[in-house]
Amino acid sequence: MSLLVFYLFAAIAVLAALGMVVLRNPVHSALSLALVFVSLAAMYVLLSAPFIAVAQVMIYAGAILILFVFVIMLLSPGTDQGVGALKAQRGLAILFGAALLVLLIAVLGGAVLPPTRGTFTPEAIAAEGDTQAVGALLFTNFLLPFEITSILLLVAIVGVIVLAKKRQSISKQ
Amino acid sequence: MLTVNHFILLSAILFCLGAVGVLIRRNPLVMFMSIELMLNAANLAFVAFSRYLNNLDGQIFVFLILTVAAAEVAVGLAIIVAMFRARENVDVDEVNELKG
Amino acid sequence: MLISPELILAIFGMLVLVVDLIGRARTREWLPWVTVLGFVLAFAATLYIWGSNASIFAGMYSVDMFSLFFKLLATIAGTMIVLVSIDYLRGRTTRQGEFFSIFTFSILAMTMMASSASLLMIYLSIEFLSYTSYLLTGFLREDKKSNEAALKYFLYGAITSAVMLYGLSLLYGVSGSLNLTDIATAFANTVDPSVRTVALVAPALVLAGLGFKISLVPFHQWAPDAYEGAPTPVTAFLSVGPKAVGFAILLRVALTTLPIYQASWIPLLAVISIITMTLGNLVALRQTNIKRLLAYSSIAQAGYMLIGLVGVNLTGNSPFSGLNGVLIYLFAYLFTNLGAFICVIAIENATGAVNIADYAGLVRRAPFVAALFIIFFLSLAGIPPTAGFIGKFFVFGAALREGFLTLAAIGVINSIISVFYYFAVIRAAFFLDAKDPSPIRITPLVTAMLTVTAAMVLLIAVYPQPLFNLAAWSMGMFGVVK
Repeated sequence: MSLLVFYLFAAIAVLAALGMVVLRNPVHSALSLALVFVSLAAMYVLLSAPFIAVAQVMIYAGAILILFVFVIMLLSPGTDQGVGALKAQRGLAILFGAALLVLLIAVLGGAVLPPTRGTFTPEAIAAEGDTQAVGALLFTNFLLPFEITSILLLVAIVGVIVLAKKRQSISKQ
Repeated sequence: MLTVNHFILLSAILFCLGAVGVLIRRNPLVMFMSIELMLNAANLAFVAFSRYLNNLDGQIFVFLILTVAAAEVAVGLAIIVAMFRARENVDVDEVNELKG
Repeated sequence: MLISPELILAIFGMLVLVVDLIGRARTREWLPWVTVLGFVLAFAATLYIWGSNASIFAGMYSVDMFSLFFKLLATIAGTMIVLVSIDYLRGRTTRQGEFFSIFTFSILAMTMMASSASLLMIYLSIEFLSYTSYLLTGFLREDKKSNEAALKYFLYGAITSAVMLYGLSLLYGVSGSLNLTDIATAFANTVDPSVRTVALVAPALVLAGLGFKISLVPFHQWAPDAYEGAPTPVTAFLSVGPKAVGFAILLRVALTTLPIYQASWIPLLAVISIITMTLGNLVALRQTNIKRLLAYSSIAQAGYMLIGLVGVNLTGNSPFSGLNGVLIYLFAYLFTNLGAFICVIAIENATGAVNIADYAGLVRRAPFVAALFIIFFLSLAGIPPTAGFIGKFFVFGAALREGFLTLAAIGVINSIISVFYYFAVIRAAFFLDAKDPSPIRITPLVTAMLTVTAAMVLLIAVYPQPLFNLAAWSMGMFGVVK
């Protein structure tokens, strides 16, 4: 049963990703990407990570993608040269992608994971709740990365305002 | 039987699609979207490993990556918007003030 | 308080923002000095915790002598760059408060990179440094070159960091942990050949992200454009800051996690080093813009530094352990390259010139700067008696000790090639006549910074013992692991 669900959403994800790369209109690409995000969220639920799934939809599909669409609309409404690279360059890129894929499959295909050393089995996660478990870790072991991320966000906000705010008229000298 | 290999394979496919997208497309916005696809492929790998190792570190990493990626998108789009304000077109092939 | 340097930097970063917000226009004059105060306090805090060797935050953050060395470098670089950017920014932007704030945070990111001992911290701190760098590069948002530089830098950086992240996920997958030491144990304990393959491919992917920061070939292509388009103080920062802490992480990962596979990645790094040195030097020969020339020069310098890692051998009592070569080289390179860029800033502030042709007759217009150019270029080329020579001596010495004769020979040949393009600048400055012979005024602050850097370059060459001790101290933790 879960195998079926996996194949369904995997197919959607791959087709949507292909669409994103190939479609000419950037808005269509963005919407395809949204489809990839949502199908990945379904994957995360399959992998016993419902909190991450919800966060994925909220942050990626809900915030990042909206921002992309805003900027696309702001900059070049509808007019786009699409897949602009030369034929030869395109062919080379596809060849490179295929070679990379073959390499990755060869390397990863037979890899054996180390024996499970953790305590967070899917049952344990389901019992306690994924959000609770992740939250507890974030505020204990992973406190430093958590705080650093908040500073990172602050810096990003300041920088974005400096770069993108409309020009001040005269008096701020 | 659903194994970790299924997910890793999907992750590899998405990663390579993203890489091809970056190489093919000329519009910086679509290139950026392809980069986001690559990031998502890595996220999928992390969550898959996390599940099959019974370890929650991967999920925490992904949560923080989500946040950092959001900040990255904000910064990148701000750079693109600033560039658009200074010139009219946004095409990676056409930006050549700086000699290659 | 083992994270006191970081706390101080974070507080001052926010303090600058707040002061800029609530202060009047005249308060803006004080902002750079507030920033410098922050750096000085962070420097003092680093000395205060000198000698510590602790692993805090569940093994993620390693405050050891190795990281303290780089924190010192970070605060020194930060102070010097802030002082020379005061005049540079004056005519070019009104957003000085934000500049100094973002810059303080970039120094904070540098200190965090030095101490990262977990895949998560490595990724977060690299991204942190990257964002601040993109923002600083594109800071002059009305300047088309600055925009373009930031865009190219950003796209390149985002791609390599996505590749690096994928590599990090694979490392996590085959070892089951995010901490470098746990990963090392996992690698040591498994005999499965498939794990070995992943353990070779994954670090190669991670090298994409690190190589980007250090500007190794083929991850160097952003550097010439970013260096040329960015405001010159930011260029100075990019040439020393990310490079130094990028090497810090590379060394930490290579020597903590991967000593088992040393036989595999040493040849790869040797090849990368050769290509980086050669490409950097050859393309530099054709440059007419001083900032691009220095960009290719610093690409080549990364190649030389990498030789130290190739020749690493922490056993035995030889003075050439490869690792101390890299540390000494980085320290010498910091002052040398900053000095060269401060010279460029001095000329650019007064005349706006960045092309080598415009440096004609510099010996008459600004003799002090022209003389210092000679000192800094001698050091970059590795000619005694300069700090650069000491750096190259230890790096090539390590390579020779490990039997990498060809590598060392290519390094020496490249150093000789580099003399030609450095000399092109000297030739313009000393032997050509200026179109406009008016003297160039250099502000006292810039003169002071130039004196300090030149003095350090010569001092290190004449009295290197303290630097040797510093490097030996910093290596202590690696000796224990090996």
